[in-house]
Amino acid sequence: MRWRNAWIVMRKDLDEFKKQKLVIGSIIAMPIVLGVVLPLAMFVPMVTMVPLERPYDVDGLLQIGNLPDDASAPWTNQTVENASFNATVFNHMTLMNTHLSNCIIDSCVLENTTVMDSTIQNSSLSSSYLMNVTVIRSEGTGLDGRYILAVSSSLVFTKTKPSEIDLVLPMMFNMVLMIFIIVPATLPTIIATYSIVGEKNNRSLEPLLATPTTDGELLAGKIFSAFIPSMGSTLLAFTLGVVLLDVVLIPKVGYPLLPNITWILSMFLLAPTACLMSVLACVLVSSKVSDVRAAQQLGGFIVMPVVVLMLGVLSGFIFLSPVIICVFAGLYGCLDLGLFYFAKAIFNREKILTKWT
Amino acid sequence: MIICDGLTKTFGSITAIQDFSLTIPDGCIFGLLGPNGAGKTTTMRMLSCLIRPTAGAAQIDSLEIGKKEDAQKIRGMIGLLPEVPGLYETLGAYKNLDYFGQFYGVPKQQREESIRTTLTNLGLWDRRSEPVGGFSKGMKQKIAIARALIHDPKYIFLDEPTASLDPAASKTVREYILELKSRGDTILINTHNLSEAERICDTVALVKNKIVKVGSPKALARGLFARTVSFTLQKIPSTLMKDISCLEFVSQAQVKGNQLVLNVRNPEEDNPRVVSWLMKQGLQVQFVTEEEHSLEDVYLKLIEEGGQ
Repeated sequence: MRWRNAWIVMRKDLDEFKKQKLVIGSIIAMPIVLGVVLPLAMFVPMVTMVPLERPYDVDGLLQIGNLPDDASAPWTNQTVENASFNATVFNHMTLMNTHLSNCIIDSCVLENTTVMDSTIQNSSLSSSYLMNVTVIRSEGTGLDGRYILAVSSSLVFTKTKPSEIDLVLPMMFNMVLMIFIIVPATLPTIIATYSIVGEKNNRSLEPLLATPTTDGELLAGKIFSAFIPSMGSTLLAFTLGVVLLDVVLIPKVGYPLLPNITWILSMFLLAPTACLMSVLACVLVSSKVSDVRAAQQLGGFIVMPVVVLMLGVLSGFIFLSPVIICVFAGLYGCLDLGLFYFAKAIFNREKILTKWT
Repeated sequence: MIICDGLTKTFGSITAIQDFSLTIPDGCIFGLLGPNGAGKTTTMRMLSCLIRPTAGAAQIDSLEIGKKEDAQKIRGMIGLLPEVPGLYETLGAYKNLDYFGQFYGVPKQQREESIRTTLTNLGLWDRRSEPVGGFSKGMKQKIAIARALIHDPKYIFLDEPTASLDPAASKTVREYILELKSRGDTILINTHNLSEAERICDTVALVKNKIVKVGSPKALARGLFARTVSFTLQKIPSTLMKDISCLEFVSQAQVKGNQLVLNVRNPEEDNPRVVSWLMKQGLQVQFVTEEEHSLEDVYLKLIEEGGQ
């Protein structure tokens, strides 16, 4: 594979897109409208109307569940005062009979961790991420949890009733996040169908196939030319959306909420696999139709696996957590492999010249 | 040199071309003539390594067309003009040529010079950035030919190069092809235009899903038709047709006005004998001309026979 040739195919396609005002308009406008304007339209009224009662102090840790039978206690009988924990990862650990006071826990990750028979007093949890933290027979007083980045739903560590904004934000974030997965799966239906069906209609594939490029290089070029603009414009909208949402929400919640790990994983794992799936499916569709619009309409079916995820999120069956993101990215990745196999099989010179109608 | 040995291509139950065997020497213009669906384009596509032969083999400079490892090298040696120009209509002439130069690995400076020279010769340098979609068919065809030549290929395959061009544009393209021949390039042309083939092709192959006949246009005509000589006489007596039957070397005779048209075996030897015989009969011969059969006559006769 000579990537240079794939790069030339992509540059040629991009040069052609540049001349197509409608295509360019769609590529830029769709992510901006859906990923920036729409979320702002949702969040701005919310932050101005919903009252904020945020529990700054976390006091009175609740006893939940039972002590795990196999719990180990490496932090048993520890008393720590005036200490600072920075960028520490607590994963699958048990803190037992441990007493922290006047401590600063900064940029730490507490994951799958159990805290038992312990106390945490006058301490601060800032820029930290807590997930699946089970607190048993413990107490916390004078804790400052304002700057916690993300908290899993399984952590119950306050008697204070969560504010309405705390209840609504995760759901709304999920909805907005779905936009950044739907958009890169939709854009290739505009670009890829145009780049392949357009060439078929224009009869410009034959001279291209007569060059010393290989089928794989041509296919790679076509994939890049749909994938890169789709992901590029989505990433642009994502960055804009995150910045603007933080600008809107910081005055209300006091700290930047985005991007969190879920959003980052979505953008760099789930969105690319969804986008690639769409690109490859468009290559398959384009081999069977001779009309750009028909190809784009068929392309609507291409995003079905993404629509399934969206429906799951909107109906509340699926909550976009890092694990769920990874699971779906894995599923889409497997689909991508299958589609790539088929696309490679149909994207050969002889079939293009003789079978593609 | 291009050597084809029994090239055959079938699409399902349809045989596009069968047992195509011939040799195209370097530096010649070779024409493939035949009706629609005769397998000319299929043959050209096989030789361009765009489609694989079902059977048979072909070599271009000792490289096998069916071999995957040779296909890229062969495509790099060939400049193909397909039936339809297939330009990127939204892009300018410069970019159209530049991209193909890049695909063929032509160095940037050489590419720029080549494109500048070509577009200047075509009178399009000032319009190099205009979308080619707005150009006339003739202009597009010229740009497509220039695209096929951007990498200075040794072999040039032209599928209907003057189709849908006006006479002036056709003439320009024909002259361009002859100029390429003078550089020593080997040119394979698919064409319906028989007068064009007659004018520019050194050798033609009449094709109708197989090779019907191969040869130079003149040789084909001579091999197919008896040579016809027309004797223009001052006056033709009514008994002449009866008397001339005594000349054993005349296979056929007819009178057209004051012309006596004879089919003879060997005009170089037979014409003086006819003239002397006519003079003995007291007839005055004003002109002696040999009537040549056009490639069109050859084409129609052979294709008709080939179809039977």
